[in-house]
Amino acid sequence: MKIPPDLLPEGFRDRLPPQAEVAARVSRAMIDVLTSYGYARVAPAIAEFESALAERSGGAARNQHLRFTDPVSGHTLALRGDITVQVGRIATTRMQESPRPLRLCYHGQVLRLKAKQLRPERELTQLGAELIGNDSVAAACEIVGVAIDALEAAGVKDITIDFTLPDLVERLAEKALPLAPDKIDAVRSELDMKDAGGLSVLGADAYLPLLAATGPFDAAVEKLRAIDAGGALASRIQALESIAATVAGRANVTLDPTERHGFEYQSWFGFTIFAKGYSAALGRGGTYYIDRADGPSEAATGFSLYPDPLIDLAEESNVQRLFLPLGTDAATGAKLRSEGWVTVAALDENDSAAVLGCTHIWINGQAVTV
Amino acid sequence: MQAAGIEPEPAFFDESSRALLFATNNPAISIIRVRAFDVATFVAHGAAHIGIVGSDVIDEFDYSELYAPVDLGIGRCRISVAMPRDAVDDVQAGHIRVATKYPATTARYYHARGIQAECVKLNGAMELAPSLGLSGRIVDLVSSGKTLAENGLVETAIISHVSARLIVNRAAFKMMSGTIPALVQAFRELSGARAAA
Repeated sequence: MKIPPDLLPEGFRDRLPPQAEVAARVSRAMIDVLTSYGYARVAPAIAEFESALAERSGGAARNQHLRFTDPVSGHTLALRGDITVQVGRIATTRMQESPRPLRLCYHGQVLRLKAKQLRPERELTQLGAELIGNDSVAAACEIVGVAIDALEAAGVKDITIDFTLPDLVERLAEKALPLAPDKIDAVRSELDMKDAGGLSVLGADAYLPLLAATGPFDAAVEKLRAIDAGGALASRIQALESIAATVAGRANVTLDPTERHGFEYQSWFGFTIFAKGYSAALGRGGTYYIDRADGPSEAATGFSLYPDPLIDLAEESNVQRLFLPLGTDAATGAKLRSEGWVTVAALDENDSAAVLGCTHIWINGQAVTV
Repeated sequence: MQAAGIEPEPAFFDESSRALLFATNNPAISIIRVRAFDVATFVAHGAAHIGIVGSDVIDEFDYSELYAPVDLGIGRCRISVAMPRDAVDDVQAGHIRVATKYPATTARYYHARGIQAECVKLNGAMELAPSLGLSGRIVDLVSSGKTLAENGLVETAIISHVSARLIVNRAAFKMMSGTIPALVQAFRELSGARAAA
């Protein structure tokens, strides 16, 4: 089949004016928040050796890289699908001697091998912050707070944060609510679907109350406390309450202790961010471990946002474009630009302010509305 | 639905009505009617917040954005493999071709058994496929088995048991945490009560 000329591959798109400008503005606003909290920016490479990238990626992401053969090395290269793993690599290799906790942030494009039916894009913007060397409650509080600040800076309102305990089932299955090791996966999968009937069929009735311990945080955490088997969860519940207290009033907090969508590699704490008007999650974060070749793995806390939906729905900023008619001298133009105007200079007498989308014209030393 | 406090407008029950969107007694809830195969898609994309659909459809699409919290216990049937009475079994047949409305479910079933199978996607009248040489087997919904028998087919394996489920969009479940979980709980209690009765 002949490829139609000038069409992009499925899942890729160009951003045109003013959307491209909006994208830069929204991203800048969020990055400024991250840097203001002391997160230093890193810009990892867009491609890496596939084997190294896959080894550091957890779960399904491992096979989701767009790959090609490097004519230089003869090895397979992969285009990055998640910047978090690259930041982990940087932190534990070239920056391994940097003092901990190490605060890093990033922004860039990531690529997917295949689009999901629900999200047809194969090129996504990813933006986030990682706090390396600490996965305490204090670290989680800071990360959740920074994530909310960043979204607010991008103009997002009515934020909902959903807390989860990614390793909950393993922890309970150990002792409190014993499960055969071969059943853990099946139980987690039924908990994922919130399928009460399926759990009963598996003989995991003891896990049923977990399904009810979801919803608005205060009520849900009480239910979780009520089923706290033998105190195995007491410290976790206390930690969740401290984190919830720091975001109180800034976001709705919900709890879903068994949620594990996108939490393949998180350890004790995870959160997902939703906001009114967006049908899918805007981002997620939590605590995790970064493997080190030279020693024990290192704890970390962080979050990633996928701001493309924000950019698509963001208000276009009200730009005032000033038309400079033929013959306007260069110094006048420079002065007006330094005052904050966007100037559009006429190149010949056929150019017109209206056609070029200008809001004002420079006439007799004054900006006149078109 | 009535027991959960949702009363659709009368047109919903009017078979001649061509409307697709119906009001209810609760101004915050309206009902849409779509093809069974599209219910999961509407809910997964967040176009509808909750839906009622067979577990066959949920398994086929395997959307990550769906919760299936309640087994309503109605519309029970099964997805089965059927083939002509004199066909060779899976092990002897070198190459298997299956006509089905459920290509993903079928592929998963054969994949788990290490059998190479090729699916022919049909939208209806699967039962004709073996007799006309389109495929050696079919995978389809079976309730009584009468249609199969009339077309000279025998049910050889059950892939899964099917019943109607209440499904909920994941983002809606979190963001409308004041209303949707309560509604789910109401459905769960009602279907539990019916199962006990």
